[in-house]
Amino acid sequence: MASIENPVAELPPPSASDLAHGEVLYSIRDLTVDYATRAGTVGAVDRVSLDIRKGEIIGLVGESGCGKSTLGKALMRMITPPGHISGGELLFAGEDLMLASDRRMRQLRGARIGMVFQDPMTSLNPLARIIDHLTETIQTHESTVSDAAARDRAEQLVARLGIRIERIDDYPHQFSGGMRQRIMIALALALRADFVIADEPTTALDVIVEAQFLDLLLELRDEFDLTILLITHNIGAVAEISDRVAVMYAGKLVELGPANAVFGETKHPYSQGLLQSVPNIDVDDVDLYQMAGSPPSLVHPPPGCRFHPRCPAAMDICRTEEPAFLKVAPEQATACWLYSKGRYDE
Amino acid sequence: MATTLENPPPESPVHLEEWEQELQKVGLVRRILRARRWYGTDWWFVTISTAMVVAFLVIAIAPQFFAKYDPLGQVGPRLLAPGELPAQEILILPEDSQYNSVADFATGERIPIAVQRETPSSEAARDEADRVTEENAAAGSDERVRLQIQRFETPGEVLDTVVAGDAVAGVMSSSVFKGLADQYPTLQSAGAISSAEQDATSFPLGTNQVGQDVLSRLIWGARIAIIIGFSAAIISFVIGVPLGLLAGFAGGKTDRLMTLIMDSIYAFPGLILAIAITAVLGPSIFNIIVAIAVLYIPTYYRIVRGQTLSAKEELYVEAARSIGAKSREILSRYIFPNVIPSVAIIFSVNVADAILTGAGLSFLGLGLPPSTPDWGIDLARGQEFIRSAWWLITFPGLAVMLVVLAFTMMGEGLVEIFNPKLRER
Amino acid sequence: MVALIWVFLRGSQALRRYILTRIALTLPMVLILVSVVFLVLRVMPGDVVSSTLGPKASDEVRANIMQELGLDKPLVVQYFTFLGDVVTLDFGNSFIGSRRPIVDELGERLPATIELIIPASIIALSMGLLFGTWAAVRRKKPTDYGLRLYSVIIYSMPIFWLGLLLRLVFSVWLNWTPIAGRIDVITNTTLHRTTNLLVVDSIISGNWAALGSVLVHLILPTVTLGLVLSGVFVRLTRINVIETLQEDYITAARARGIRERAVTYSYALKNAMIPVVTVIGLQVAILLAGAVLTETVFSWPGMGRYLVERISSRDFIAVQSTVAVFAMFVALISLAVDIVYSVLDPRVKY
Repeated sequence: MASIENPVAELPPPSASDLAHGEVLYSIRDLTVDYATRAGTVGAVDRVSLDIRKGEIIGLVGESGCGKSTLGKALMRMITPPGHISGGELLFAGEDLMLASDRRMRQLRGARIGMVFQDPMTSLNPLARIIDHLTETIQTHESTVSDAAARDRAEQLVARLGIRIERIDDYPHQFSGGMRQRIMIALALALRADFVIADEPTTALDVIVEAQFLDLLLELRDEFDLTILLITHNIGAVAEISDRVAVMYAGKLVELGPANAVFGETKHPYSQGLLQSVPNIDVDDVDLYQMAGSPPSLVHPPPGCRFHPRCPAAMDICRTEEPAFLKVAPEQATACWLYSKGRYDE
Repeated sequence: MATTLENPPPESPVHLEEWEQELQKVGLVRRILRARRWYGTDWWFVTISTAMVVAFLVIAIAPQFFAKYDPLGQVGPRLLAPGELPAQEILILPEDSQYNSVADFATGERIPIAVQRETPSSEAARDEADRVTEENAAAGSDERVRLQIQRFETPGEVLDTVVAGDAVAGVMSSSVFKGLADQYPTLQSAGAISSAEQDATSFPLGTNQVGQDVLSRLIWGARIAIIIGFSAAIISFVIGVPLGLLAGFAGGKTDRLMTLIMDSIYAFPGLILAIAITAVLGPSIFNIIVAIAVLYIPTYYRIVRGQTLSAKEELYVEAARSIGAKSREILSRYIFPNVIPSVAIIFSVNVADAILTGAGLSFLGLGLPPSTPDWGIDLARGQEFIRSAWWLITFPGLAVMLVVLAFTMMGEGLVEIFNPKLRER
Repeated sequence: MVALIWVFLRGSQALRRYILTRIALTLPMVLILVSVVFLVLRVMPGDVVSSTLGPKASDEVRANIMQELGLDKPLVVQYFTFLGDVVTLDFGNSFIGSRRPIVDELGERLPATIELIIPASIIALSMGLLFGTWAAVRRKKPTDYGLRLYSVIIYSMPIFWLGLLLRLVFSVWLNWTPIAGRIDVITNTTLHRTTNLLVVDSIISGNWAALGSVLVHLILPTVTLGLVLSGVFVRLTRINVIETLQEDYITAARARGIRERAVTYSYALKNAMIPVVTVIGLQVAILLAGAVLTETVFSWPGMGRYLVERISSRDFIAVQSTVAVFAMFVALISLAVDIVYSVLDPRVKY
């Protein structure tokens, strides 16, 4: 890992890099995010708790509008009005980001936590060259770095990510979609962030490029012990590279566990439905599965379990009381009344 | 001008959101008030300006109810400042005088009064004396006012006499006294000599060099302004919108040719084009309207054409076509309704601009007959008196500004409300 | 002109081709405008000569004049002669009044108008960009509404009124600025004019007294014109910056921890500026229209005032030529702006 020099840090030595692989990097406790709209308050994320461990790739899946993107933005405290984080703790490397000042957040963003966005074309400043994007990011966080040194680092980074160095002086519109996404990763890693949030990174890419991208993510994770939160509605992508999978529905976390477990022994009815919806190329002549109903309004969500109107296994209690998110297997947790009796206690 | 960008036209609300549907059920007033809570200050922009616009329209449609005087008639003295009383005959007394008005002269003795020769002062004094006497007689007393009038050549002599004590009081015009008051610190005005005259109204905004009331001219000017503004806007609309629809819908060579012509007109300085057209057609209100109308046709054309082009691409139009809807139907049912909101906004801004241009044209002396009570003309004529009569240029210009402001603000406020991209996120 | 040539020579092969294409596209526009001018003035009701001479002129005199002006030839011939004249800038002589070659008269006055327009646009643009960005950044707060109110009020003010008011306050009441003209009469005699751009001329000849006088005379007219135009720019910048701030790359930049000030200026404003700058091309039209009025109010001897004067004297030849020159001027400037735009924005492919 000698390719990128260890920068002279201006910030207090990040405690995150002191963490060993597997220890909790980002602890989210009862996070709630609301949006004020003309129709009422939208509860986009409702008391979600999740621990993200260093060095893991954790996939976050769910339908459009289930709150996963909001969650991703909240982790960086980038929720803009009319939305706001109305409750919860965000413990990143032991520091509660809910208490952090704007200035502290700015220090963290880009340096310790990075984000890769969905559409790389619109996420890059059309008037700035790639080199400018990189050097600006570097020099904003480490003002003592000289132009030449910054350029050096940028070039090395770019090379590591498979972009030809001579193209570093080009403008964003001169690159293809896949390349631009690599540039975005480069930007997220420019300061060796510990944690990268990838918000629908492959939605705008075609299948082959997507595969390359996912491979790249794996490589980077292995090389730098990077922690990645992969937010996507593409279950296949998640299945390929995630260590753990989290499923969200209507603003709530409904299932969490290692990829094998979630895919192999799916617990929550919604997750089951989700997996069944993925067309299977090996099976012929089968109607496409479609879950009944549609996602509920987040202004007035259904009482009890939010999934109950569409759940094939709904019981009476589901209509009145919300199930707690409980561990139901050694590494798996879910929020469903079906499992409350067989609750797994450590 | 192919590559110039302009602001994208505001998108139209094609479907109603749930909350809006709710509002439809409620009455109009409640709807407006509820909207206020959400839109905040923008709501104020629109409401205040709409109120102003309505006020102007009312004034413009029936100026005779609002204007006190005939705008063309000489109703007062020339160049009267706002609020200044026209020159009156006043009674001038020494500050230690025992008298306060002509009524106090009813002592039976002959009171010596000084006046300037060959001025209305002596008659005014005598009239007042007679009047007081009559009044007293009617009230039962027989105290008469008897005056001994001394005539002098100059006002200065009149005042000297009063100071010297040879006359108890002097009578002269207030404007004359104003000029001399500094030299006679011991003398002061006791007010108008006749109480009747004391009711003389001042002109709230003054008078111009011909003696016309500025305020009345302003009010009548509103009518001309709005006639010009609306007529020009309507003509532009009536010609520009169909042309735009046609060009957008038909495409091809017709479209290209028309767009080229329209772009050329659009790019050309509006006022100058209007000047040229007016110069050629000759001065008349109709020609001004035509000239201004020509200027704005391209604006409607462009916006409508743009919207038509994008509406044409919309799937629902294709769908309609696939079920065999006729072109005319497609145009009127699908494309036209989408075009209306932007056009409405343009219209209000258009009227504002038309009024502004019209004022500019008449300021330059083109178009309207010089006696018309028009704001631009008043401004032009007021220029020579910039040193002496500031009110002649201030108020007409203010009027133009307020009207244009009202219409522009209304349009601007509507843009903020309609444009979803600019809405609160 | 010079700048255009410089850009032309410096630019790449592709750039040259682009410039030539743009020029080629502009020509039809000028052609159309000039033709419209021709049509309007020759074909419109009201025979030019009659209105100029009045009904009392004898037929013989009238025939003579018409022949002199070439008005007796068929319309088509007149049209092409006119076009030829325009291209060679041979506008003939002023019909009424000085009877001097119109080219000369315009040549004296065009620089005056230019000298008015350039500082005014600079004022307008800088104020517009500054205030517009400010308003966009503080959106929905008092500053925003205040600035929007300012821009709308300024825009609604008739420019001649603003000019008169400023004149009233500063020249009449406070006596700080002169009342009219470009330079005071006495100093004028000492100034040797070459370009007729008085600022330039006085610097060239080292005549500092003249420079002072010229600058003082410039203040009010340019401020008037600049202020009124700034209203438009403030609105435009504000809307463009607001829209730009909602773009994804802004969020992405913030996600990298870029400072808010850098985000506003190097990301948002730079991007938002491009559409604003292109609109300058359109604003030239407003600028010139405003110049006509400003020149009238301040007795500024520029092309605008010339136009109005000539109309009042019914000198249609001069009017026609002036309008044609205006058309060419507008075309030239929008061409220049388009080229500048293509240089500024790397995305424009040529």
